[in-house]
Amino acid sequence: MENLFVGIADGLRSSLGGLPPELGEAIVMLVKLVAILVFILVNALWLVYMERKVAGYMQARIGPNRVGPKGLLQTTCDIGKLICKEIIIHKDTDKVVFMLAPVLVFVPTLMVFAVIPFGKNMAAIDMNIGLLYLLAIASTSTIIFWMAGWASNNKYSLIGSMRSVAQMVSYELPMVLAILGVIMITGSLNMSDIIAAQEHTWFIFTQPIAFLIFFIASVSECNRAPFDLIEGESELVNGFNTEYGGMAFAMFYLAEYANMLVCCAMVTILFLGGWHAPFGLDFIPSWLWFFIKMYIVMFVIMQLRWTYPRIRVDQLMGFGWKVLVPLSLANIFVTGIGMYIYRAIGW
Amino acid sequence: MFGKGLVKGMQITFKEFWSPKATIQYPEHQNPIPDRYHGRFTLDVDKCIACGMCANACPNKVISLQKQKVGTKQYLTNYVMKIYYCLFCGLCVESCPKDALHFSKVINMNQYHFSDIPLVLVQREAPAVTAESEVAASKTSDKEGE
Repeated sequence: MENLFVGIADGLRSSLGGLPPELGEAIVMLVKLVAILVFILVNALWLVYMERKVAGYMQARIGPNRVGPKGLLQTTCDIGKLICKEIIIHKDTDKVVFMLAPVLVFVPTLMVFAVIPFGKNMAAIDMNIGLLYLLAIASTSTIIFWMAGWASNNKYSLIGSMRSVAQMVSYELPMVLAILGVIMITGSLNMSDIIAAQEHTWFIFTQPIAFLIFFIASVSECNRAPFDLIEGESELVNGFNTEYGGMAFAMFYLAEYANMLVCCAMVTILFLGGWHAPFGLDFIPSWLWFFIKMYIVMFVIMQLRWTYPRIRVDQLMGFGWKVLVPLSLANIFVTGIGMYIYRAIGW
Repeated sequence: MFGKGLVKGMQITFKEFWSPKATIQYPEHQNPIPDRYHGRFTLDVDKCIACGMCANACPNKVISLQKQKVGTKQYLTNYVMKIYYCLFCGLCVESCPKDALHFSKVINMNQYHFSDIPLVLVQREAPAVTAESEVAASKTSDKEGE
């Protein structure tokens, strides 16, 4: 079980032994990418269902339970219905940009997943600047939300996307500064190295403040409640995707959950020990541990949504710039001093 | 202060997550219906004397009944309620002198076709007339002819 996926990749590689090595490697890479694509889409479908179930359970309801066993096919049916619908493009839109935005919205998420190690030796690409790559690519999704809002030519969409740019740019800062503490300890940007450094102690215990800052900032990066100002159903008519219908809307909807998946994976990798098994429970394979941790974080994010009300724009900005940024800078300072003391003691 | 309220909120929602659910799965399960519920109508045909007081009491003219005289008695042949105009006020039930009209606990009166919506409580032929009543009937029909 432990080497299930690695074994599949090796088997594929050896079965392609007759081909030139470059071609064989390219085919393996393609298979990996398709596997990631399927993984993201299936997870996004499942997460929409899970969100509705969690929401229901927290409101003393049952949630979807009619379509398929336990309502599992509900999201599949919803997507099927959305595919059948017409995508309405009204006459004042910037048509190219308008249609480009839902197509591109999945791209950063997909690119980010290439470097995430799902288990021992299970990163599609084990890049030595993986974290930098991830942060750089993930922040480009801001542009796509801006494209969608701007091209819609609608005041609600425009306000929503302006808020999204302001929010995502200002929360990127504490997020990166929080990660800096982790990077200082490990001295590496490679995700596998960061996970390997957490074999004995997870960074949530050595960097608790960084964890909190990173978690809050990543919830904000996914535009999830209580930071869902850019959607704001009750004030902005769903913000940047007001004008979208049919499959274009479904792409945004699924991308939200795919982004959540990235954030949860990041929290797991950086602070929850990645694929390391806690309490020596090694009989569960490493990739399963990764998913379990990821889904626990996911549950907490969903719980946040159904617990807290949306905050105001000025509160959001004030919290980001006046609380999170100074706190993360202080965290870096304390981490530096701590490391210096540790080295002086000679641990 | 310092997130105490946030933690409390999370505790509440987490507890709620495991609490029993209030939903009742309607077609399979149903809430108990109180005795005084104004549901579908039932008519005790044997008690009904076809006086038409229910039709008179109705504010929306929902009830239409047809009767025939059989012998010395009025015989109810048709009793139809246009239930889509009914507001379930219960004036017809109150007005019934013989306590023949009642509410039942049936709440599900959905129909696929519009023509199925009217509630047909009685639809029957008048029984074969006896010799005396035939004379009476012919007299009435003669009068109508005039």
